[in-house]
Amino acid sequence: MNFTRRTILAAGGALAFLPSPLRAQPAAGILRCGLSAWPPNLQPWVSTGASAGTVKMLTYGRLVGYDRKGELIGEIAESFARDPADGAWVFKLKRNAFFHNGDPVTSEDIKWMIEQIAGEKSTAYMRAQFQLVAKIETPDPHTVRLITKAPVATLPHWFGNYNMGVISRKSEANAPIGAGPFKLAGQERGTSLDLVAFEKYHKPGFPKLKGIKFVVYADENLRFAALQSGDMDMIEYVPWQSMETTEKDPRLKLDAEDGPFMDVLFNATQGPFADPRVRRAVAHAVRREDIVKVAFFGRGRPLEGVPIVEGTPWYDKDLAKGWNYDPERAKALLSQANYAKGFSCKMLATAQFGMHKDTAEVVQQHLAQIGIQCELQLPDWSTRVAMGSRGQYEISIHGVSGDNNDPDGLSVVMDTSLSPTYSRSFGLKAPRTSEAFAKGRAEFDHAKRVEIYKEMQRAALEEVPIIGLAWRSQGYGMDKRVQGFKTLPGALTTASGALLDEVSFG
Amino acid sequence: MRWFLRRIATCLVLAWAVSLVVFMTLHVVPGDPAELLLSTGGIAADPVAVKELRIRLGLERPLLDQYMTFLSGVMRGDLGASLVDDYPVTKEIALRLPRTLELILAGTLIAVILGIPAGTYAALHRGGLFDRIVSGAAALLLAIPVFVVGTLLVLLLAQTLKLMPAGGYVPLAQDPAKHFTLLALPAIAIAKSLAAVVFRMTRASVLDALSRDFVRTARAKGLKPARVLMRHVVRNALTPVLTVLGLHMGTLLGGTVLVEYVFNWPGLSTPLLRAVEARDYPMVVGIVLTISGLFLLINLIMDLLYAALDPRTRAA
Repeated sequence: MNFTRRTILAAGGALAFLPSPLRAQPAAGILRCGLSAWPPNLQPWVSTGASAGTVKMLTYGRLVGYDRKGELIGEIAESFARDPADGAWVFKLKRNAFFHNGDPVTSEDIKWMIEQIAGEKSTAYMRAQFQLVAKIETPDPHTVRLITKAPVATLPHWFGNYNMGVISRKSEANAPIGAGPFKLAGQERGTSLDLVAFEKYHKPGFPKLKGIKFVVYADENLRFAALQSGDMDMIEYVPWQSMETTEKDPRLKLDAEDGPFMDVLFNATQGPFADPRVRRAVAHAVRREDIVKVAFFGRGRPLEGVPIVEGTPWYDKDLAKGWNYDPERAKALLSQANYAKGFSCKMLATAQFGMHKDTAEVVQQHLAQIGIQCELQLPDWSTRVAMGSRGQYEISIHGVSGDNNDPDGLSVVMDTSLSPTYSRSFGLKAPRTSEAFAKGRAEFDHAKRVEIYKEMQRAALEEVPIIGLAWRSQGYGMDKRVQGFKTLPGALTTASGALLDEVSFG
Repeated sequence: MRWFLRRIATCLVLAWAVSLVVFMTLHVVPGDPAELLLSTGGIAADPVAVKELRIRLGLERPLLDQYMTFLSGVMRGDLGASLVDDYPVTKEIALRLPRTLELILAGTLIAVILGIPAGTYAALHRGGLFDRIVSGAAALLLAIPVFVVGTLLVLLLAQTLKLMPAGGYVPLAQDPAKHFTLLALPAIAIAKSLAAVVFRMTRASVLDALSRDFVRTARAKGLKPARVLMRHVVRNALTPVLTVLGLHMGTLLGGTVLVEYVFNWPGLSTPLLRAVEARDYPMVVGIVLTISGLFLLINLIMDLLYAALDPRTRAA
């Protein structure tokens, strides 16, 4: 055979159509899933981000979880209800729930867990909430009764957080024994985690997979490339610019929901932003569609009110437009506040995340239209966090999500009576809003709660503890063979990984 | 011997200076490791929990006290533990450094295999088609940033042709074939600029050697052209090439960040970047100290070699 340039070129071209032995091949029943970040650690109750949260939910399990519509359901707890006699929250545990060491999950384990979380030296994310628990009763191995210092209607949601893993009281400091659908079988530090199905999982017939291999791809474009090339069966956080490509790819599908949102925070200790009229002027000055277009490639929705998820009972169509784009009104508000000629200020964001920087630039442009000249400060994320927590800014751009879809889940962002942090406005007092949050938390009647939270929205629109800018879409990309997964709605998008126990290959 | 001891002492003083500067600078830069850790994912951290974690991590102690503890640990070969997950820094470096070195060595090997023959051939056919094309290509490769080449390689070979994996890492012992497949693209990306440098340097050196008297003499003696080329031209031309190669390899120790990031290669750069973001002080200082230590070691070896070759340098 003669090897001419033409035959060599033809052979090279044909290579593209052959199944490549060089590419990763899937193992039967093992889902290969691309994570966006390596879990800093897998401590069950410390906040370690959503990627770590996925691994934690799958290995430790939770007392309660969420169904596909985002409704609270029992997981290790088969039921939960309030005892009308003394107001205690009563959790009944499943009798077939076991830890990975084979021990049954008992009420003593849950009691021990809550004590650890609420302890004085605890660094748990839900520490402050569980310090409201006055007494924990364990009348039998399968019943836990929680008596709180004050009535808390949202207490079951606390157990649905991904930083609320259930672990055995026999666990050693750095070796938690969970009760989730998968066991941690091994890890290549900084690179990948291998989970294998737990045969005594409390949901009969689940998990459907034999295992999951999580591979970390910090670069979003490479993560998407890994999905597109077939190296991964599924990835989290599909980059917005790649969502359309995912939808058009005949082999792939996208499951996305609007959940987290971008917002504006203020330092109200001094200067123009101490005046709520100026804050309202800012709220009316920004055309949100530009943010959705520029920062999220159209994958999101304008947010012109308090970030209440549409479709929930708490949502009000009119209140949701309370901070609509109205530059004339913005100018009038500035005049009323004696800033008719505008002013200059410093706007804090971060250059480390494109969505923060892009959003800040759009807001900067729109504020300039009403005479507010912002000088952008774009340090790295760590510096931005430090500056935010110390109030070293005048106005800042942030991206966040509520704890859950109950309006109380927004208190972490909007309740100004809580301690200062970079993700809440600094030195700002919104007493009516805070009061409404407290009232709603203590109210058990659903209809009354709806009214309370509508009042909370009215108060927030006037007091402006934050300004909502845009909902951003959060999506999982996957091979069409991956069946049974659903991105949870609203603030729960980051907890969607828990549903991997229902995933199978079609 | 005194000269040698003086050089060693200088290296130790420099290493100490690096540790002091990096340690102190890191603590001056804004950002609290405890707060960052507890607010992972952009959520609000409880200030009481932050304070508790700071105490637990030893961050509430005076800075000098923290530095002295670190220094005494270094004396015992212990670089401390990560603030994020308590993982020993020395173990992390022992795990990651070989991967970075492997990447650099693979890239260098490709650069040498391509650059030296191509440079020699181009010099021998100076001004010819090959010389013009490859010289142009070398200039282009030097001009294109490594992340662009990396992204293009992923786009073409992984996403479009689906011939190669997009990136990642598998240990050699687990699956050698897959290991080398995953090594190929980042190594090519590393080799890109280096090959261009080696090509240019070889070409210039060979041209210089070709014009030397000893080459003319060798030819006049009737030696075969191939023997003249290999024994007299290339051999003499390679000395400056190797010097440049050594310098570039040293630079690559801290310069593989982008390649490791683009190809998800878990070398030393990735934890360094992550540690800086998380203000994981022991991890940052440990890795920087290791990299600078290697630099100092390479320099020391070079000094010793120069001194062996030319004793006059010892007096300098």
